[in-house]
Amino acid sequence: MATWLGRLALVLALCATSIAYAQKQGGTLRVTHRDNPPSASIHEEATISTDMPFMAVFNNLVIFDPDSPQNRPDRIVPDLATSWTLTNEGRTLTFQLRDGVKWHDGKPFSSADVKCTWDVVTGHVDGKMRKNPRKSWWFNIKDITVNGPREVTFHLNEPQPSLLVMMAGGFSPVYPCHVPASQMRTAPIGTGPFKFAEFKQNESIRLVRNPDYWKPGKPYIDAIEYTIIPSRATAILALVSGRYDLTLTGELSPENAKEIQAQVPQMDCIVQPSNTQGNLLINRDKPPFDDPRLRRVLGLSIDRRAFSEILSRGINKIGGAMLAPPEGLWGWSAEFMETVPGYGGDVEKSRDEGRKIMRELGYGPDKMMPLKVTTRNVASYRDSSVILIDHLKSVYIQGELEVLDSSVWYARLLRKDYAVGMNVQGTGIDDPDVQFFENYTCSSERNYTGYCNPELEKLYALQSRTTDFEARRKIVWDIDKKLQEDGARPVIYQSQGATCWWPHVKGLKMAVNSIYNHWRFDEAWIER
Amino acid sequence: MSTPSPAAGATREGPITPGLLSDIFYLMRRYPLGVAGAIIMSGFVFAAVFATWVAPLDPFTTNARASLAKPGGVYLMGADMMGRDVLSRLIHGARISLAVALGATLIGSGLGAAIGLACGYLGGWFDLIVQRITEVMQALPLLVMALVITASLGPSLQNTIIAIAIPLIPTVSRVIRSNVLSLREMPYVEAAKATGMSEWRIAIIHVLPNTLAPLIVLATAQLGSTILTEASLSFLGLGVPEPYPSWGRMLSESAAEYVRTAPWLVIYPGLVISLVVFGSNLLGDALRDALDPRQRD
Amino acid sequence: MLSYLIRRLLLMVLTLFGVSIAIFLLLRIVPGNIADILFDSAGLIDPAEKKKIVADLGLDLPLPLQYWQWISGLFRGDLGFSYVSEKPVIDEILPRIPITARLAALAMAFAICLGVPLGVISAVRQNSGLDYALRVVSLSGLSMPSFWLGLLILMLFVNAFGTIPIYDRNPATWGAWFTMLAVPAAAVGFRSSALIMRLTRSSMLEVLRQDYVRTAKSKGLSDNAVTYDHALRNAVLPVITTIGVETAFLFGGLIVTETVFNIPGVARFLVEAIRWRDYPMVQNLVMFIAVVVVTVNLIVDLAYMIVDPRIRYSE
Repeated sequence: MATWLGRLALVLALCATSIAYAQKQGGTLRVTHRDNPPSASIHEEATISTDMPFMAVFNNLVIFDPDSPQNRPDRIVPDLATSWTLTNEGRTLTFQLRDGVKWHDGKPFSSADVKCTWDVVTGHVDGKMRKNPRKSWWFNIKDITVNGPREVTFHLNEPQPSLLVMMAGGFSPVYPCHVPASQMRTAPIGTGPFKFAEFKQNESIRLVRNPDYWKPGKPYIDAIEYTIIPSRATAILALVSGRYDLTLTGELSPENAKEIQAQVPQMDCIVQPSNTQGNLLINRDKPPFDDPRLRRVLGLSIDRRAFSEILSRGINKIGGAMLAPPEGLWGWSAEFMETVPGYGGDVEKSRDEGRKIMRELGYGPDKMMPLKVTTRNVASYRDSSVILIDHLKSVYIQGELEVLDSSVWYARLLRKDYAVGMNVQGTGIDDPDVQFFENYTCSSERNYTGYCNPELEKLYALQSRTTDFEARRKIVWDIDKKLQEDGARPVIYQSQGATCWWPHVKGLKMAVNSIYNHWRFDEAWIER
Repeated sequence: MSTPSPAAGATREGPITPGLLSDIFYLMRRYPLGVAGAIIMSGFVFAAVFATWVAPLDPFTTNARASLAKPGGVYLMGADMMGRDVLSRLIHGARISLAVALGATLIGSGLGAAIGLACGYLGGWFDLIVQRITEVMQALPLLVMALVITASLGPSLQNTIIAIAIPLIPTVSRVIRSNVLSLREMPYVEAAKATGMSEWRIAIIHVLPNTLAPLIVLATAQLGSTILTEASLSFLGLGVPEPYPSWGRMLSESAAEYVRTAPWLVIYPGLVISLVVFGSNLLGDALRDALDPRQRD
Repeated sequence: MLSYLIRRLLLMVLTLFGVSIAIFLLLRIVPGNIADILFDSAGLIDPAEKKKIVADLGLDLPLPLQYWQWISGLFRGDLGFSYVSEKPVIDEILPRIPITARLAALAMAFAICLGVPLGVISAVRQNSGLDYALRVVSLSGLSMPSFWLGLLILMLFVNAFGTIPIYDRNPATWGAWFTMLAVPAAAVGFRSSALIMRLTRSSMLEVLRQDYVRTAKSKGLSDNAVTYDHALRNAVLPVITTIGVETAFLFGGLIVTETVFNIPGVARFLVEAIRWRDYPMVQNLVMFIAVVVVTVNLIVDLAYMIVDPRIRYSE
């Protein structure tokens, strides 16, 4: 709690400085980037690699209040929409749109653009996008109608408080109707504070100031330049040497941040949840894990604290599917977590129990059960798998690592050709609808394990239309507990990542429970 | 070219006392660098074979408390991010390097020699076609070929060996082929032909033994380069996967991050790779001096 | 000579044709295509959606037709479009070539400037302590992985200057330009310099033993005059050989060095393109590399003929 308060104070202090000093015009913000974004089209991607650099090109309808240190449903402010109303018992959501906003190519922005955007992402209209990773977010949207160029209405099947939350995230920009999807992937056009200038594959991304931005006098920075540096070591050295001002958010480990601050004490670094979690994909359709006893043993062998210690020196959080408090809004309280099997403090006791089950199944120290642990050929996946295999030894399971190239990983998951997979996955917004509908419904695109529980689906729907926060959180806790008990996708840790920047970069605003939603840079400036 | 004759060197060096020990002394005087190489290589092979007994700790056991432990105490060469002992991982890593080096060299040289022998001896269409294929392979950079091959086969020890072995074939087959071509013109081969000896017998009795020397020289020289290629592949994230402690992987990304805080993660694996390749190069040079009289100085 | 040249050129075309088939097939053996990779980056698994991308990009066409499309385009000067950036391949490759070419040229220059003099010294002082020391140094040059050397150099820079030579498209000063390329070039070129040194030494030794050198010496010419006049000329051959042997090998060194120093050249780009299964990009890049390798080999062989008239080419 103390560290969280400290971080909160830091964020607040940042906000305070933005008031205390006069903003300066000009300068180029130089940012390190970890890899080549798959494309420039935010709606087609699900990675921070695309979200962070291109968010500044766009605007949303609504946005999380930049001055709130936590993304919350009750702290959402206007962006392209000036106001909104809910009618018809929360089934009709009407936005009034801003006047005089222009796309970067000079065409005027209107309600048709909003309709176009959501017609495509809901899948109602084929927008020629190569991929649509967040279709599951918008399942509740029945229809979108426009009433003149300044008003747009979303008609919903059920009331859904989370809809506005999802619209406020960095992954929900408004796209221009007149620009084809292929251009949005290569040279996007938006209404945002920065214009797209150049995207060199595997090299750099450059945005320049939009002089006609609808917020008068903003942005302050002339240009933003992202340089792709795949080697994290090189990126850190380059940051420390002053070649760059800011790192790709959440990409550094807490350990890296400590090292950087040891070298450059004035460097600002923030450690926060990176919205990714390590979890296990268990193939419950095939032996050996069609046997619930073995699934249970798997859960009992894991020492979550050791994972956190080794991967992050204890900084990674322990929790369920939802981000743990105090950063997360929806995660279990510490007392509630104690009641979830496998989350108790005494690992040796759990492992004793696991060994007992294994002996009943005919295994022992001299007869270990062989098991293939499958993972992707990505460092964070491999590191976690190595620890997992080490832990499995404690319950007489001799794990062998099978490393798959990224290109075949999902194909293998789809074919159910694995026993247990170590998985690292990210979630854009700290919200139960996003988490449950994306990963745990029977029909979702990203439900890799095919976990399907009709009873729980009813609960997902119930929490989704519950408007009272406390009541909804209670349901969410229970769902999350049930998911862990079932071994749907046992969550092992919730990662924390660090972002560092030189103190001459002012006016950066971040929230503690998401790395995805605050990269518009229209309030930031460089003070030299 | 004549058959290797170590005695030729000996007469220059003066009287020889019989016995193994004196042989060794003689070798040490004649090829001091070669002996140094042999010592390094035997240390490497010893570590690889007896890794389980030599290594002080288990190379796979993670330990949160020992994360990035400094060299000294239990962890003689420090520990990595997961608290695994660097020294033990280096010793076990010798197995991977040895397996790759031996496997790739044997497969590459074996196939290369067979193809070269066949080409040189059979000639004609077969030779022509194989030569063209060889040229195609040599126009592709070695690491690029290995990259594509590991990508298609997937990362594993045996696939790494294959990926490194295949690009070796053309070099070996070319050398052996030209060797065979020149041997065929040798008077004693012509003489054997005149006596009516069958082509295959000539190939096996006269030609093959005489290509052994260059083959051994070539293979030893390649031992080092296979170890380097494996390290490069692993460094780029391909090659032998975790948790096997491959030297190249130990040097890759995660280690490079600790250039300042944990330099031992960068220094020791690189040193070990360099030392072993250095040893194999020394040994290869000495062997070439001894076996290939043309090159002797 | 002319007929030899014509035959070589014909063979070159044949080789390049073989390379084109080899890389085309190799790429398609590799499991996973661009659709898999794109879906992977977004965590999607719907096979129907994936099929749409495959069809859009023409990946479901019969292989001979795909090959024909590529090769016929190549002859028209149309290299196609990158799957990832959706820009013309030529626009992606061309700006990156000079970067790698400069790096390679600097590396070779470094190798020659260091390798030839040391090789000559080593040969002239054969079996002296200096000779042994230099031989050990050159052997260790051949033994060090170039990426490790790169990392060590980075380490040195951080500790000594608190900064690193990282690539910048528009460097502020000539000095910055030089360090940013020269340092990685040294890391790549060190290996080649070791090779040049060894070859120079042995070819020097061979020449020093030749009768005409002995004659020259006995005629009373000074040691130095003999060494430099007769022998140094022979350093040209090892340099040419090294260039021939190393062009293909250098590329491997360039890949890892461009990775370590974050240089946006073609070598690192190729690795990325393979990772993305960006067929048009990989195919054309590999063809480009093959053309370079084959051409350099031809030039090396011709250079041999000019430098050393004893060599005759005929089969």
